[in-house]
Amino acid sequence: MLERLQAMKDQALADLTNKDDIVALEAWRVMYLGKKGELSTALRSMGSLSQEERPVVGQVVNEIRAVLEQTFETKRSQVLQKAANEEERRNQLDITLPGRTPFLGAEHPLQKVIRRIEDIFLGFGFTIEEGPHVETDYFNFEALNLPKDHPARDMQDTFYIHSELLLRTHTSPMQARTLLARQPELPVRIIVPGRVYRRDDDDATHSHEFTQMEGLVVDHGISMSDLKGVLLTFAKELFGEHQQIRLRPSFFPFTEPSAEMDVRCIYCGGDGCSTCKHTGWIEILGCGMVHPHVLTMGGYHEEGITGFAFGMGMERIAMLLYGITDIRQFYMNDLRLLDQFTQIAR
Amino acid sequence: MKITWNWLGEYVDLAGLTPEKVATDLTNAGIPVEWMQPLSGQVKDVVIGKVLTVEAHPNADRLRVCKVDVAKGDPLTIVCGAKNVAPDQNVPVAIDGAILPGGKIKRSKLRGVESQGMICSAGELGLDARLLPKEQTQGIFVLPQDAPVGESIVSYLSLDDMVMELELTPNRSDCLSLRGVAYEVAALYGRSIHMPDAVVKESSLAEKLPLSVEIATEHCSLYTAQVVSNLKLSASPLWMQMRLLAVGTRPINNLVDITNYVMYEWGQPLHAFDYDAISEHKIVVRQAHTTETVMTLDGEVREVSSSAILIADPQKALGLAGVMGGRNSEVTEYTRAVVIESAVFDPVSTRQVARQLALRSEASLRFEKGIDEDITLQALARAAQLMETFAQGNIASNSIAKSTKIVEQRQVKQIAVFVKHIQSLLGYAISQSEMLEVCKRLGFTVRVVSDEEFHVFVPSRRQDITIEADMAEEFARLVGYDRIPVSVMRGQLTAGVLKPAQHLKRTLRNFLLDRGLHEVWTYSLTAPKVLANVLIDEGHPATKMGMLLNPLSEDRVGLRTIVLPSLLEVAAYNSNRGQKNIRIFEFATIFLPNQIPMLDQPVEAPHITGLLSGQVESVGPHGETRLFDFYDVSGIVHALLTTSGIAQDQISLVRSKEPYYQTGQCAEIYSKNVLIGSFGKIKTTVTECYDLQESFYFDLDFFMMQKLIKSDLTVRELPKTPGAERDLALVVDRDLPVQQVVDAVKNSAGHELENVSVFDVYTGDKVGADKKSVALHLVFRADDRTLTDQEILAKVETVLNVVKDEFGAYLRF
Repeated sequence: MLERLQAMKDQALADLTNKDDIVALEAWRVMYLGKKGELSTALRSMGSLSQEERPVVGQVVNEIRAVLEQTFETKRSQVLQKAANEEERRNQLDITLPGRTPFLGAEHPLQKVIRRIEDIFLGFGFTIEEGPHVETDYFNFEALNLPKDHPARDMQDTFYIHSELLLRTHTSPMQARTLLARQPELPVRIIVPGRVYRRDDDDATHSHEFTQMEGLVVDHGISMSDLKGVLLTFAKELFGEHQQIRLRPSFFPFTEPSAEMDVRCIYCGGDGCSTCKHTGWIEILGCGMVHPHVLTMGGYHEEGITGFAFGMGMERIAMLLYGITDIRQFYMNDLRLLDQFTQIAR
Repeated sequence: MKITWNWLGEYVDLAGLTPEKVATDLTNAGIPVEWMQPLSGQVKDVVIGKVLTVEAHPNADRLRVCKVDVAKGDPLTIVCGAKNVAPDQNVPVAIDGAILPGGKIKRSKLRGVESQGMICSAGELGLDARLLPKEQTQGIFVLPQDAPVGESIVSYLSLDDMVMELELTPNRSDCLSLRGVAYEVAALYGRSIHMPDAVVKESSLAEKLPLSVEIATEHCSLYTAQVVSNLKLSASPLWMQMRLLAVGTRPINNLVDITNYVMYEWGQPLHAFDYDAISEHKIVVRQAHTTETVMTLDGEVREVSSSAILIADPQKALGLAGVMGGRNSEVTEYTRAVVIESAVFDPVSTRQVARQLALRSEASLRFEKGIDEDITLQALARAAQLMETFAQGNIASNSIAKSTKIVEQRQVKQIAVFVKHIQSLLGYAISQSEMLEVCKRLGFTVRVVSDEEFHVFVPSRRQDITIEADMAEEFARLVGYDRIPVSVMRGQLTAGVLKPAQHLKRTLRNFLLDRGLHEVWTYSLTAPKVLANVLIDEGHPATKMGMLLNPLSEDRVGLRTIVLPSLLEVAAYNSNRGQKNIRIFEFATIFLPNQIPMLDQPVEAPHITGLLSGQVESVGPHGETRLFDFYDVSGIVHALLTTSGIAQDQISLVRSKEPYYQTGQCAEIYSKNVLIGSFGKIKTTVTECYDLQESFYFDLDFFMMQKLIKSDLTVRELPKTPGAERDLALVVDRDLPVQQVVDAVKNSAGHELENVSVFDVYTGDKVGADKKSVALHLVFRADDRTLTDQEILAKVETVLNVVKDEFGAYLRF
């Protein structure tokens, strides 16, 4: 009996090795482990055995069942795994085919520059003001220390609606408007992005409409060194940690002292190239200490209250940052240009 | 303003300095040197020669063979093509091996005759031929008889000079003269100034020529004049001509050149009148009469307004004060005596007249920025002196100086400077002694009051300095802006945050970018004619456009009242370049005047607008894509409103009547009877004009949206009971807006209806030609229990009864 069982086990195991699909496996299970299978038959035939033999044979039968079941389970999971693998292999895709890519929209390059600069100054505790495009002569000129027939008005050719109403030539009117609206509150820390208008013929470097960003700080004891500090941090943030700035004397009717700010040429790093006309520096913005007349007209009369202001052209900065060579491109909106702006991270 | 290095060196010591260094230092001190270049290109081995003989060339009619003495060896044989060459002339000769701006000169045979050099024209020497008199540009450059034969032309003509172009800021009109720049250079290097002596000389003639001056306007503060007689009109000395040429002024004759030369030297514009043209020998400075005309030097008859200042005699106008002289009193070859005028005219009047007549002269440029009254008389004296020297004139009258200002008004400006103010404004601990040193270098006298305070007496040449802050700039720029340190701004903390509207703009911009729309920027200025392209007729509010007084081009004459044409132009531009898939948006401002013509600031309304045309998604290997349609633009608009916190139940849609939309495929969005925008399909007659496919537009009024936005949220508790879902397919009239059915269901199903949505609309054979089937998905839920089938059935029954009553709707089976 025991020999027969042993032989059956060997036969069962041998049979199992070449069963490699789930149907054959099931048939094997029925044949050996099923209710009418070999083992069950063996168990049923135990009645004919002696009292001594029964437990011995019973134990052997159970051991054989355990071995067969375990081997079967192992084999079954192998077969299932193999079938699953084959299924996956059949469903393999060409991963290089283009995906269903959603269209990407591009922020306009000028908006991108404005947002980056806004974020820098928001971090400094500035807020953002916006003002009217159609401005009065008073706010565009007179409140900025540019009385009528002042020669410095020639610096900006103006579109007029009538003699007292015009299209703002700079974002600076918001200096005067903000001061009047906020006085005597301190500190004033604002930036003003916005569109401005000059009566210029459009060409590669001129546009009758363009974009400026104004900055204004007024508080007790603001100094030119504070201006330098803010602008240096700004320049490093926008153009890179290694940036340096340089101030040169200049003239704006609404600041005194006035300056132009240069940064190290972002193309050659200061070695000199055609972009910086071999000076190593690039002019970025105009700035200065708020002219006392502007403060007074804005309602800040107290001695010791000073401020600084700056203004920069967004087109110029965008042209430098992105290598755009014709200012008109910003207003042409060629999708082939805009598309390229979907491909940068900030 | 141009200057030359050698000319500048006459007034300030430049020893040890180079043009490059001075240019850099001037630039850093606020007098930017825009460019700098040699007066002429490289010129070498060109000498002054005397033409001895001129003979015909044996083989060429147009060439001559000249013998020219160059005071070195035998006379040279030179073949010359110029018609004006003649014996006894002094001429520039490029000898063998000479270098000219145009190249190297070698001895060579010209039609069989060897030429040992070249006789040069002014142009060949690199001079600006545009400014030279004709006789000097047509042919060789004939030099004066006293030109030293054999001398290098470079040193004789001062060709080894540097020209610098200064890009002056409007406040630094003091540097519109060599004198002003010399003061600036002196201040930079602590050197001294030496202007030529210019002391007024009175006439020593026994019979003086009479002259009187009357100032009959308040717009002339100072008028000085003097008569110089027995003049010999000729060319001015070559060095003077060369200097005028270098700074861009055409040499004319000795009298005119002298007035120009002195203007550049001192910054005081001068004028020379023909003495005999002045009736009664009396000059009257007065305002023009209305509709008075003057023929100016350029031969133009100019009608002037009463704001113009005229120089006149008792009978007629002689010239436009400060702008241009008159033809009737011009210096001519018959002039024997002149009146030199050196005066100060009102900057504003001069500027206005020059602008009105579009006549900006070197003189008006200086007058409109203010003249240094301290040197008006000196400039007069200097010109008289030069006319004595270079025109053999005699000073024929005493000098006349009339002033309308009382003496007190001409007091020297005095500015109180407090050391602490300067230090705190600059953020730099500049000491009082450093400040005093700067004043000394500038030539400003000071009176020290205490360790803390001093007074600066600003010379009248620096009219730009009027307040303490101006002195702060002088100190800063002369010690160097780079000495100002970097400091951290102090003061109260302020939160740098976006305002709600700014935040919303960023959110909406990101929303549209994420939907694949590109942001575009277009011009605010446009023309009424573009309105016709989008079928807008008279009477439409968009035709009320604010117009410019002085437009520059006919396409940009007014401020836009609608954004659509701008977006169509962008789409057309791209479509013409093969970009047929257009997905663009703009945050644009439109300008709505309060009245026409526009008198005051208009309403500037920010709008969010967009245009969609072409494919909804990119074409790929994954099956067909489709074109944008009405429901795409509708979906974008609704999602955009939702993301702004404007709930769907706050808005309602009404068919739009805008002329540019296709009837039946456009909507206006209202909230509580306020129009907040519109969207729809653009009429194909419009899109075809722009060469576009079907295009869909949306336009939202950002101001109106802002009034509706919601930024706060308290969340609903998540449901604890199961919901019951029911689908209903209702057959209704085909024209019935689905929204009405949805509203009716909402209103009739009771408060336990949680949601109702449309999931299908069917039209076709199965429902009849004028019907449609609307499939609705309803979700019911009670907070505290599970609804029974009977309860739901009752609610659905109610709904069905209501829609049956209201719309004749019935269930589709």
